[in-house]
Amino acid sequence: MTQKPVNQNLKLSSPTPPQAPARIGMVLGTEDVTPTIFWFAVSVGASVQLDDLVVVETQRPDGKTVTFYGLVDNVRKRHEGVTFESDVEDVVAGVLPASVSYAARVLVTRVDPENFIPPQPGDVVRHARGRELDMALSADKMKEGAFPGGLLADGQPLPLNFRFVNGEQGGHINISGISGVATKTSYALFLLHSIFTSGVMDRVGLGSGQGGTSSGRAIIFNVKGEDLLFLDKPNNKVADKETEASAAKGFAADRYTMLGLPRQPFRDTQFLAPPRSGASGDAIVPNTDQRSEGVTPFIFGLREFCARRMLEYVFSDSAGSLNLGYVIGNVEEKLFRLANVQTAPGTHLSVTDWRPDEQTEIPEGIDWGDVGDIQIKTFDHLISYLEYKLLEENDGAGDKKWVLNQAQGTLRAFTRRLRGVQKHLSPLIRGDLSPAQAEKYRPNLLRGAQLSVVDIHNLSGPAQMFVVGVMLREVFEHKEKYGRQDTVFVVLDELNKYAPRDDSSPIKDVLLEIAERGRSLGIILIGAQQTASEVERRIVSNAAIRVVGRLDLAEAERPEYRFLPQSFRGRAGILQPGTMLVSQPDVPNPVLINYPFPAWATRKDEVDDLGGRKAEDVGDDWLR
Amino acid sequence: MRIRLDPWPIDTDDGQLGLKPFEGELIDVETPRWGAIAAKAIPERLREVYLVDGRRRMESRIFIDDEAGNVGVGGFGAYVAGAVKLCPHGSHLAVLEQVRAQRVLAYAPGLHIDPYRLSPRHPHTGQLEYTPLPCAANDPLAPMHAVQQAMLNAEQQLSHGLASQVPFDEEDEREELTSLTLQDGTLRSKNLGGAVVGCVKTMQTQYLPPDRVGLLGELQPGERTPILHLKYNGGRFVRFTWYVRLSRAPFYQHPMSGVMRLEMYAPDEADFLPPIVRKVANLSGTLLGRLASAPHKDARAPQNLIPTAALEQAMSRAMGSQELVTRRIRSHLAREIGAVA
Repeated sequence: MTQKPVNQNLKLSSPTPPQAPARIGMVLGTEDVTPTIFWFAVSVGASVQLDDLVVVETQRPDGKTVTFYGLVDNVRKRHEGVTFESDVEDVVAGVLPASVSYAARVLVTRVDPENFIPPQPGDVVRHARGRELDMALSADKMKEGAFPGGLLADGQPLPLNFRFVNGEQGGHINISGISGVATKTSYALFLLHSIFTSGVMDRVGLGSGQGGTSSGRAIIFNVKGEDLLFLDKPNNKVADKETEASAAKGFAADRYTMLGLPRQPFRDTQFLAPPRSGASGDAIVPNTDQRSEGVTPFIFGLREFCARRMLEYVFSDSAGSLNLGYVIGNVEEKLFRLANVQTAPGTHLSVTDWRPDEQTEIPEGIDWGDVGDIQIKTFDHLISYLEYKLLEENDGAGDKKWVLNQAQGTLRAFTRRLRGVQKHLSPLIRGDLSPAQAEKYRPNLLRGAQLSVVDIHNLSGPAQMFVVGVMLREVFEHKEKYGRQDTVFVVLDELNKYAPRDDSSPIKDVLLEIAERGRSLGIILIGAQQTASEVERRIVSNAAIRVVGRLDLAEAERPEYRFLPQSFRGRAGILQPGTMLVSQPDVPNPVLINYPFPAWATRKDEVDDLGGRKAEDVGDDWLR
Repeated sequence: MRIRLDPWPIDTDDGQLGLKPFEGELIDVETPRWGAIAAKAIPERLREVYLVDGRRRMESRIFIDDEAGNVGVGGFGAYVAGAVKLCPHGSHLAVLEQVRAQRVLAYAPGLHIDPYRLSPRHPHTGQLEYTPLPCAANDPLAPMHAVQQAMLNAEQQLSHGLASQVPFDEEDEREELTSLTLQDGTLRSKNLGGAVVGCVKTMQTQYLPPDRVGLLGELQPGERTPILHLKYNGGRFVRFTWYVRLSRAPFYQHPMSGVMRLEMYAPDEADFLPPIVRKVANLSGTLLGRLASAPHKDARAPQNLIPTAALEQAMSRAMGSQELVTRRIRSHLAREIGAVA
């Protein structure tokens, strides 16, 4: 069912037809004609719809030609020559002569050369085709950086500039839309597919003089259902869906072919999922319902938890109190030192200064070591140890070096919060693994496959925050060390939750870092959210490419969407799944595109495990 | 005492109703029984109805001195005669036909005049060409009358060219009524033989004797009076005429509001009523009931018919902006004379 990539060099449009396309109208003289917006009267027999790309040439008095490229953002018909609304009845009854005026409004996307004179009323308007289309969409400026971002209404691919994605000139993609109908994640995956298979990374790598090829990696956090756990499997519905869509839109070929992209699932993938919670010593299996083969459980070693200072990500609201933040920082430092003096292999922490018998409640299952030490192997015990050090040692005064004069109340708040998340984090942070196991289950996002899917949908809120925060920081630190070639794309939905406008959290700090500095480090955030108005402003505003799917109409009027002209904002409320408005820096106006049905399965029942054959045929093979 | 209103706006020259007595001959040609006649359906064969109207205006009064040294007055004028074509059964949309402006340079007799061309200064404004038109006299109103006459002639040509022919004697095998023209206003003097109906909006002259006028107030919408044969102005004008009610008169208006007088050309002798005339009279109530305008849309409702109002507007537009034309004339003359425009 898969196809070979059609071409390495992306062809963005058909060659210019031998004769220029026919006139579709004339610039109107009864509305203001300006260099950025004008109306034209559509000729009899011509059809103009929203999003059509048009071109107008005008003559300057000195004989030089100025060409305007633009996008139709409004079309209207009305009766001309009649005064009253009820006159339509007389017109239809054949009593009142009237003509229908059909006019379209053009938002200019480019003026070439940059002489911002208005076109002349009466100037001829034509559809933009071939080279003119490239000019209208600034594809000529993108050169090898162009990769397809979807199909325009007439079936021509929309070029996106990869240099505005990979951080060279700009970075980050932000997608907004209502859950379910806006298909935000699908579009993010389509963009990844396009980036990975169109060869744009290699072309830009060559063009930038960075040497032969450059590769990219993507990390996707799966936050809803198990939708993303089948990205490596072909979709059994794609053939039918695409045939249907091509027929409905009147395209000559299926949309993958028109985009010049292979119709195939993602190739180089790994799937990570948290382990099922169970007693220590149980087999470690991924906590997924629909798929178990090919999914690797990820676990953080307890010693690594301390050594890599992950404690702050346990607290999603540390900024709530200055003192609490102080305690967290201090404890983190203490644990870091503790981890650094460990010598024995494994992921546990060995401590000698813990006297559990002094505690009011002796924790169960304490592992007394051989030489008078205690091996902390669970998150539960780590918390007990901290309780001992902060609140119980020295008859309730705690260890001075750990307490550092903090009030009892603050310390109690600290341990109480730890206890609160203990249940959620215990399966993820373990101290009972062998070094081999620790290596096997350590999440390895940057050296594993090209596309890593991290399933966190089964995790509770605090655990999700912890995982996302820790992993993103790891990526960030890695890139800080190794620089920006090999772009890393991070796909994260529900930015409302991870980077809310009004609250602060460690994970928001990481996302802000990525948004503001990630561009130069080659970490690209493909973020999505239902409502951009509720996401940290700096994260949204740093995105070079902004995409909008179906929006709530009230949401569409918020200032975050001012990049959409009014007519587009109104239309955002009626977009169908599979249709998006895409705005990129090279083109001053957003463009409406549609993109193909996923070639990868998004549910278990979509997995094409028959290899394109009918179920009966496969069944026959089994019976033979 | 009872006072009721004239339906037309006060700023028109005359009201809809005048009571000028009629001096001429009046003969019952259809039936001696003076009573309302109900409207009949429009025959299937009648496929086309045209409404013809004309418009004219003077654009400038001028003073001319020609090469031979003669002087005189004249004027730049423009006129349009146009039509709306519609199907009485509503089978197609109404369309405007031949709404094209003619420009004339009317001049006092005896002068030597060439066509006058105002060439555009701007690529998007067309050329204005004035064809010479001699006036009948050298008085100041003559140019306007010449333009008016040119318009009436054009209107007349258009009306009759579009309509079916009306046979005027019994031997003539009756031509089917397939195409009818409604002309705005009274018919012009000369009969060119087409099925042309003059629609007279006002009732300036009271043609009916006092004992018959009462019927006009009693007509129901669509109903008409019998056809009369009418001869006046010393026998120079001979017409068939009848009245038809387009809409009910509101209580506050005089009872003849909503009534329209129609006329068609007639032979001198009052002994023959061509069947086509009777047919037209029969369908007139139905047809005009459909074309009548509503008072909130047209101040001269219902007599100013819906297509006529649209046609008038289109004709005014076809002549172009009066102001702009005057300006063009002025700047053209300035260049001709050599002054700085």
